[in-house]
Amino acid sequence: MDSITKQEMLKDVEPRPRSTIVWATAVALILLPLVISTPLATEILVWSIFGLGFNLLLGYTGVLSFGHAAYFGLGAYTAGLTLRYWHVGLWTSLAMGIAAPMILACFIGLVAIRRRGVYFAMISLAFGQMLYFLALSPLKDITRGEDGLTHIPSVNLFFIALEKPRNLYYFILAITVLMLYMTWRILQSPFGRLLQAFRENEERAKACGYNTTLVKFFSLVLSACYGGLAGSLNTLYLGYVPLTTLFWLTSGTIVMMTVLGGKGTFLGPLVGVAVFLFLQNTISLFTPRWELFVGAIFVMIILLFPGGIMGTIQEKYLNRKMIRLQRKAATG
Amino acid sequence: MILRTERISKHFEALRAVDQVDFTLKQGQLKSIIGPNGAGKTTLFNLIAGIYRATSGKVFYKDRDITRVPLYATSRLGITKTYQITHIFPSLTVFENVRISAQCRRTSFNFWRTAHSLSAVNERVLDILEQVELLEKRNWLASTLSHGERRYLEIGIALATEPEVLLLDEPTAGMSCAETNLCAELIQKLNKSLNLSIVLVEHDMTVVMAISDEILVLNEGRTLAQGTPREVSDNEEVQRVYLGEDNACLA
Repeated sequence: MDSITKQEMLKDVEPRPRSTIVWATAVALILLPLVISTPLATEILVWSIFGLGFNLLLGYTGVLSFGHAAYFGLGAYTAGLTLRYWHVGLWTSLAMGIAAPMILACFIGLVAIRRRGVYFAMISLAFGQMLYFLALSPLKDITRGEDGLTHIPSVNLFFIALEKPRNLYYFILAITVLMLYMTWRILQSPFGRLLQAFRENEERAKACGYNTTLVKFFSLVLSACYGGLAGSLNTLYLGYVPLTTLFWLTSGTIVMMTVLGGKGTFLGPLVGVAVFLFLQNTISLFTPRWELFVGAIFVMIILLFPGGIMGTIQEKYLNRKMIRLQRKAATG
Repeated sequence: MILRTERISKHFEALRAVDQVDFTLKQGQLKSIIGPNGAGKTTLFNLIAGIYRATSGKVFYKDRDITRVPLYATSRLGITKTYQITHIFPSLTVFENVRISAQCRRTSFNFWRTAHSLSAVNERVLDILEQVELLEKRNWLASTLSHGERRYLEIGIALATEPEVLLLDEPTAGMSCAETNLCAELIQKLNKSLNLSIVLVEHDMTVVMAISDEILVLNEGRTLAQGTPREVSDNEEVQRVYLGEDNACLA
């Protein structure tokens, strides 16, 4: 084969983002606070960032962490504490809110990375609950325990007051777009492919020459980075840190959102988070027993979309593509 | 001698799966390991590849002791194996399957560069796909391939690691006769044209006899015989162990 034929052949092997999908997502996100309330829209963005990172670990690497609240909550508390006690600026609090969970992930990674499947999930859950109880009582003097961390001063982005909901929304939107782009790049990188290889067949990945323990470790740390960022932004959004950010229900919620949207799909977390929060907010207006209805709706969605919303759509698309390729092979 | 084991043993409790086996492979040689089920063929493979830890004995690769080197590191040194039960990345495309393997030596923990920009790697992937006759199906999901094609894909994945020694564990398992013959041709081609040293575990005696330079016969973990196909097939003990086995493909 000569080089020109090769270049020609390589053209069709790359998955490229469809420009229609990219623009549709961009327009939807820009107009979101005009359609639904700005706080809800902001919450969707915050959890989407959390979901993007969680999806890297669960969807692309195939590792279930059931203690992701630890990273989200630690990020939230770190940002809150540094703002309140040290009076640092916006960027410093965000940076610390990202760094602390990543350090925690390194530690958890070192301890638990050789465990797999449900054992890893359980160990991560245990660590998450440990942090929860630490914040609840031994560290009560600085975290304010059950009351949550309040009196967090508001911050400005240069001269823009982020206290105003719209300002904050577009600030977080900019970060979300950045994280979406970063995630896309990571997934297209050799490392991103390696994550998927690990998920598909760890033994084969090893036989290809990969030290797969490191893969899991890096994936966990990377995922914690997203979790910490989302937690810090959550602190900016709420203006305080509720203790529940560290509670296992938060871990459960992000699992549910990711699975609902479609794990292992790029836009899955966004869709899952949006659907989840929208249902929660809408239904809780009518009844305090909103969980009951939301639960029933989830069951129906998962019955209709077994791979999650985006997962099932992607599967259908791939099936059609495969049939087309097979037909082409049969006739050509 | 590119690969050599010295009285290598693997015991699972009381079971001596591999017992004091001396195995040698010369550069560019195609050597087969045969033996009845449970003779220790796959265990020997796993000892060489670094999946199992040897109970005793040593493995040398180019005179370097690799007895305790783990699987991913032996692969990087140049010993790659395929599995008896197909190990591929099912929900990725055929191209991606081979690329993941091919990029390993170049760059693995690169977060930023797109895989697409590694053009040398990508072009090599196309060459490999051509060798294993999957070029036309490069955009297919690996899960949509037929059984025989998956076996080929696995060989392609192994080739992409740039091995010097290829360990093939029953590559023709589950293939039809026609497929088996093609696969035997492919193995011979890899051996001759790429000058790969190949160790083959194979149950199809006609294939083994036709393409091997040398054969090692294992029985109950021990070496029963070793030599050229002619020497081995003339060996009375081998005949006794193999009597009644049916092998019809190359006939």
